[in-house]
Amino acid sequence: MANVEQVAALDDRRQALAGIQHSARRRSPWFLSSDRPWIWLLPVVLLLLFIGIYPFVYNIWNSFREFSPMTGQVEPVGWANWQRLLQELADPGSRLRSALMTTTIYVVAALVIEFVIGLGIAVLFNSGIWGGIFWQSLIILPMVVPPTVAAVMFKVLENPEYGALAYYLQNLGITDKAEPLLGGTGKYAIAAVLIPDIWQWTPFFVLILLAGLKALPTEPLEASQVDGATSWQTFWSVTLPMLRPMIAIAVLFRLVDLLKVFDYIFVLTSGGPGTKTEVLSFYAYQRSFTTIEWGYGSVLGLLILVIAIVVATLFVRIFKVSW
Amino acid sequence: MSSPAYAAPVPSLPARRKRDWGRVVRTIAAAAVAIFFFLPILWWMLASIKPTQEILSVPPKLFGFDPTLNWYRVVLGNADPTQFNVETTGSVGRGSGGSTFFSLPYLRDSAIVGLGSTALVLLLSAPAAYAMSRFAMRRRKDLAFWILSQRMMPPIVAAFPLFFMFRQFHWIDTYHGLILVHAAMNAPLAVLLLMSFFDEIPRDLDDAARVDGATRFGAFLIGLNLVKGGLVATAVLAFIFSWNEFLLSLVLTTGVIRTVPVASSTFTTAFLTEWGYLAALGVASMVPIFIFILLVQRHLVRGLTLGAVK
Repeated sequence: MANVEQVAALDDRRQALAGIQHSARRRSPWFLSSDRPWIWLLPVVLLLLFIGIYPFVYNIWNSFREFSPMTGQVEPVGWANWQRLLQELADPGSRLRSALMTTTIYVVAALVIEFVIGLGIAVLFNSGIWGGIFWQSLIILPMVVPPTVAAVMFKVLENPEYGALAYYLQNLGITDKAEPLLGGTGKYAIAAVLIPDIWQWTPFFVLILLAGLKALPTEPLEASQVDGATSWQTFWSVTLPMLRPMIAIAVLFRLVDLLKVFDYIFVLTSGGPGTKTEVLSFYAYQRSFTTIEWGYGSVLGLLILVIAIVVATLFVRIFKVSW
Repeated sequence: MSSPAYAAPVPSLPARRKRDWGRVVRTIAAAAVAIFFFLPILWWMLASIKPTQEILSVPPKLFGFDPTLNWYRVVLGNADPTQFNVETTGSVGRGSGGSTFFSLPYLRDSAIVGLGSTALVLLLSAPAAYAMSRFAMRRRKDLAFWILSQRMMPPIVAAFPLFFMFRQFHWIDTYHGLILVHAAMNAPLAVLLLMSFFDEIPRDLDDAARVDGATRFGAFLIGLNLVKGGLVATAVLAFIFSWNEFLLSLVLTTGVIRTVPVASSTFTTAFLTEWGYLAALGVASMVPIFIFILLVQRHLVRGLTLGAVK
């Protein structure tokens, strides 16, 4: 009986396939009836040239020119913009050095905090709780809030006069009236821009690490428990090493995105007070669009791109992330 | 002897020892964490129905305020903001750059750009993903890495050249311009993610179809039909990234077209910030996205890692 049904189902399926094939044969455009891969890849490669290669080439060309406020024209300046980059790199008090420092602090702090909290939450969610899917659904919501909207939310929450978060932090004695999260001399300004980042992207680690934990084989864990290891020992020397590939992928994706961070800073502090929260992207934006130093803005843009590619490539090599 | 793969996951030791009490405690802890992360969203939702003085009062109130729909009346219903003077003291009725608080046009612009760029990127990426999954290609790995590396391009690097290109072509403030840029931005996601879905279909199916006389294109259509779930997941993620994108939309428009993230940033002027309108627009732009993302939750991890984690 079952066999007859299966055969009938298979037959239906074949007919459905034949239908699709038939219509496909008639409408098959010439450029996709080919077996040559490049024809299939061409549209997407063109799309990527448009946003990937063209800006790259343009920035190189543009780095040898500069907008002149005197004439209102863009004029060739030779290597001047690149010399300026080297000078700024060499000068410890320069805005570029400060932006590099700020970016490093921002990236490292965000990665460490988000990873540690994310791992903790993932382990908790994986420990056989009730309604796991529900809590997981709740915790992924921050990730899809538009970053600008998240930044605006925290701009209210961190406002020293009427922000709820600022109020609670002050009551807990973490910040004080003279040095609130936002404002003051900017003692906590980096923390202020990190908070929305941590809120939005800790769930990213939770999600990925939770998927990793759920996919782990159970035998090594059992073996370790049979051998009398405490659950802490098991976690430290069995679970964590097995989780390493997932950790590497999660960190890699966050790393690449963190190097580009812009929205939170644009909305929350505009790089201030002074240049305390000015990260590389924002510094390049300022040069290009605020002080209208187009050529130098291009140089800074290229610098960010090079840093991103070098860091990501090194990371892929060291942690052997495979695709 | 190893336990079979279909065995139920073994609860960790404490769970077995103390059984339910431990579980109750852990569930409460997990709930507390999840709710803690949800609090800012809840607070923002409440802010969208609070009068200004309540939004700005600390500590924030969960209950016991006079709810108002005025913000939504202006943001979604085009009511005249000046008639609600009590809430908007000092407001000139407009945001910076002359943006109105009536936000349906922004939601419309974001929707057009989001849907257009999602359709375009799927249309162009699906054949590429199929080819990378199916054709014998010597440099497949390099190609995949090159496509991935396009995601490393900081928007600020692309923004400036694109701005000039757009000015040259008179593409500033056009839908097709933004659609093209957002589609390009999402191309790495779409190609790598769809490739990982195509990789899961057995090759035999292609071969069978081709033996039966289907062209490559026919086999491709059959494949597409089998990765419908993957297409939906890719589409939802591409739409969300387009919906949330800020910097490129900011630089490539001047206000004739305004996407939601750009519009939100104009609701704070040098003199005051229109928290109520911001909250109402924020909620109106977040809720549809929440529904979408919960619908494709199953593929979320794979999507966020561009197919690296299945």
